[in-house]
Amino acid sequence: MVGPLEQAILALMIFVIMLGMGASLTPRDFYLALRRPYGLMIGVVSQYGFMPFIGFLLATLLTVPETIAIGILIMACMPGGTTSNIFTYFSKGNLALSVLMTVTSTVAGVVLIPIILVVYANALDLDIPRENIIVTLILLLVPVGIGMILRKFSANVGAVTEFMGSALALFFIVFLVISWIPRNWSFLLETTSATYFAAVGLGVFGISIGYAFARALKLHPRNARTVALETGIQNGPLAVAIIVFTFNGTEAQAVMAVPVLYSLFIVIVSTLVTLVFRRANTAAEQKLPDGLL
Amino acid sequence: MTISERPWAAYYGPDVRPEIETASCRTIGDLIRSVAETYGKAPAFTTCLYNGMNGTLSFSQVDEMSDAFAVYLREVAGLNRGDRVAVQMPNCLSYPIAAFGVLKAGCVLVNVNPLYTAEEMAKQFADAEPHALVIVDMFADKVPEATKGHPIPNVIVTRIAEFLPKMPRGIVGLVQKHWDRSVKPIEIAHIRLPEALDVGRARRNENKIEVDAYFQDVSPDDVACLQYTGGTTGVAKGAMLTHTNLIMNMQQTMEMISVFKKGEEVALTALPLYHIFAFTVNLLGFYWLGARNVLIPNPRPLSNVKRAFENYKITWMSGVNTLFNGLCNEVWFTDSPPKHLKFASAGGMALQTAVARRWQDITGKPVLQGYGLTETSPILTFNPLGKVREGTIGIPLPSTDVICVDEAGVPVAPGERGEIATKGPQIMAGYWNKPEETANVMRDGWFLTGDIGVMDPDGYISIVDRKKDMVVVSGFNVYPNEIEDCLATHPGILESAVIGVPDDVTGEAVKAFVVKRDQSLTEADIRAHCKAHLTGYKIPKRVAFRDDLPKSNVGKILRKDLRTSETTQDAAE
Repeated sequence: MVGPLEQAILALMIFVIMLGMGASLTPRDFYLALRRPYGLMIGVVSQYGFMPFIGFLLATLLTVPETIAIGILIMACMPGGTTSNIFTYFSKGNLALSVLMTVTSTVAGVVLIPIILVVYANALDLDIPRENIIVTLILLLVPVGIGMILRKFSANVGAVTEFMGSALALFFIVFLVISWIPRNWSFLLETTSATYFAAVGLGVFGISIGYAFARALKLHPRNARTVALETGIQNGPLAVAIIVFTFNGTEAQAVMAVPVLYSLFIVIVSTLVTLVFRRANTAAEQKLPDGLL
Repeated sequence: MTISERPWAAYYGPDVRPEIETASCRTIGDLIRSVAETYGKAPAFTTCLYNGMNGTLSFSQVDEMSDAFAVYLREVAGLNRGDRVAVQMPNCLSYPIAAFGVLKAGCVLVNVNPLYTAEEMAKQFADAEPHALVIVDMFADKVPEATKGHPIPNVIVTRIAEFLPKMPRGIVGLVQKHWDRSVKPIEIAHIRLPEALDVGRARRNENKIEVDAYFQDVSPDDVACLQYTGGTTGVAKGAMLTHTNLIMNMQQTMEMISVFKKGEEVALTALPLYHIFAFTVNLLGFYWLGARNVLIPNPRPLSNVKRAFENYKITWMSGVNTLFNGLCNEVWFTDSPPKHLKFASAGGMALQTAVARRWQDITGKPVLQGYGLTETSPILTFNPLGKVREGTIGIPLPSTDVICVDEAGVPVAPGERGEIATKGPQIMAGYWNKPEETANVMRDGWFLTGDIGVMDPDGYISIVDRKKDMVVVSGFNVYPNEIEDCLATHPGILESAVIGVPDDVTGEAVKAFVVKRDQSLTEADIRAHCKAHLTGYKIPKRVAFRDDLPKSNVGKILRKDLRTSETTQDAAE
């Protein structure tokens, strides 16, 4: 597992990355996303409607032990995390909407997650660590706010911060994958294919269905990309924290399998999706003829 | 023509002088100096890159730096009054420094399109014979080939992020070098612009040089710019624009607009400054107003302009139809249209009425269409604010006479078609080294535009046709001869003819009719061949293969017949 030092380094990295993301935003971006809350609503429905259902289907249809099934469900009920903001940024999505979706789903999760678990898991009693929720929100909102202030104060400081933040984000993505594999090598070998399928499928189906849903409701492709990533990318560390709080010993280890695997594969899946989204964005760009502009 | 014979004078605003007697400054050098003394430390130019990184120079800084550059040109590079200096760069902070430096030094500014191929550059250099070249590093790799026949003794190299603060400048440099690899190694002897400025400063201090003496030596009727327009014979021709031409045209244009407040405006310059429209109106006009000028190096894709709109309170912008149309199709633009905009100005190509209306709907402010030519510095007519007539190019500027004449040169009645002829202080001194070409366009003191227009009784003009074979692609003039010459060098082509055809996006598009010599020749072959020799906008957008081409008795290809068959075909479809 991740030690306290690594956790601190990760938190610091996320802080700097979100500072950069914030520096790409203006208050007006948030105003626009809130003025038309349609996208935000679609996002929350997608997040807490589709994802738990996908998780439920995976947990029931796949032949997995009960502990794994619980892990799938917990993972599926999590709100979005900062990773979704980073991928939205690189996908040329609507970052302000992404941040708002993460905040909304995180706050709403306190109430919604237990209700959903009642529906799908016969009132599985989970401890949702409040401090974890608060840390998530602080790690998201404080740097984003500071980033926006930096940009307001000086467009150059903002642009440099954004550049540094996005460079660190690229490093962060590579770091997540590279540091994860050796740490969990034996675990990778022991895991059954059904568990793999659940861990990978959660992200893949979440992103696909989120995108299809948002497009079906006529969201602009930029916002649809945002909803897709926000739906499919869950707050992995929060799931891990919840499991640590709720379960003990070997049981905790088993329940944790899917969240841990998911955390690796979602980064890989999201990277591929981001490449596709970027290409789609470039293809949709207006072709300006050669000439005076 | 007397003022009473100018029906349009009634449509000028109350503060507009119908006649501007004299230029406010003798030369552009004087203008730069006096404006800098008035506005001092206020921001004059800002380069805003796509990611929001930016750099700003104040009026005093631009004044001081262009002084240093003038000294470098005269004392170090050894140029004399009247020597040509080619300036080839996209919009960036180096542009005003280079251009103003050249003009202060009493030299002649030759604007060169940075996207030109080495071949196209070579043609322009051969004609203008510049003694110095200021070029951006991204395109400097073309210089050795472009100067083979006509070596340029002084090459000064600059970069997009020049004069930005250190950090953004370094990041942009790294990205250009290692990420998009847009900067290639430079294989010619050169000096960097900041170094040239340092050398110039040192020389000025050492020898106590008065830069004012350079431009006090210049006469208002001396040539300030050689502005190239391409040529009917396929060879580029340079319009000689004098200091008076440019200053007067700038004043005539600004006279029409009373909503601007000196020292308070923020202009967005997405059009390239090497083009005469942006040069006179954006560069000179808004400098003169004491405005902050936000320069966009590359507006493609249009999202590159987003940060400029977010970070600056743009009060005015200029553009061509393509730009206004493009912005109206960008979600980020329609979501937050510029709040402080007073109006926008369009030129270069016909502004479509539908585009003008959408722009007005989205921004709540009008886009006013004007008209002019490189040869007229360039503005001849503009729609007055509040008295816009859709689909027209407006009314003549103060001190400008415009008539429509028949083939014999006799003015036609209002409402009838005729070639637009004009007189005014903005008409060029002639074409550089081409007296016959000059004689062709001047008749009894009137300049013949080659455009066919209709003037209504109030003086509003509409363009209905063009006499010349020239094609206007999104604001750039393309001469069919140049394209045909290029096609002729392809071994698979027997003969060809090039015309302009209507196009929804670019107004007009280049269409080539080709007779094959090699039967396996494809459209892609032709495009690839043209791409190697011509700038993007000149490459035929459409290619049609024919067994033969319509010809006159003496064997001259009749482009006119091809055009007629195109239009009847269009109508049939």
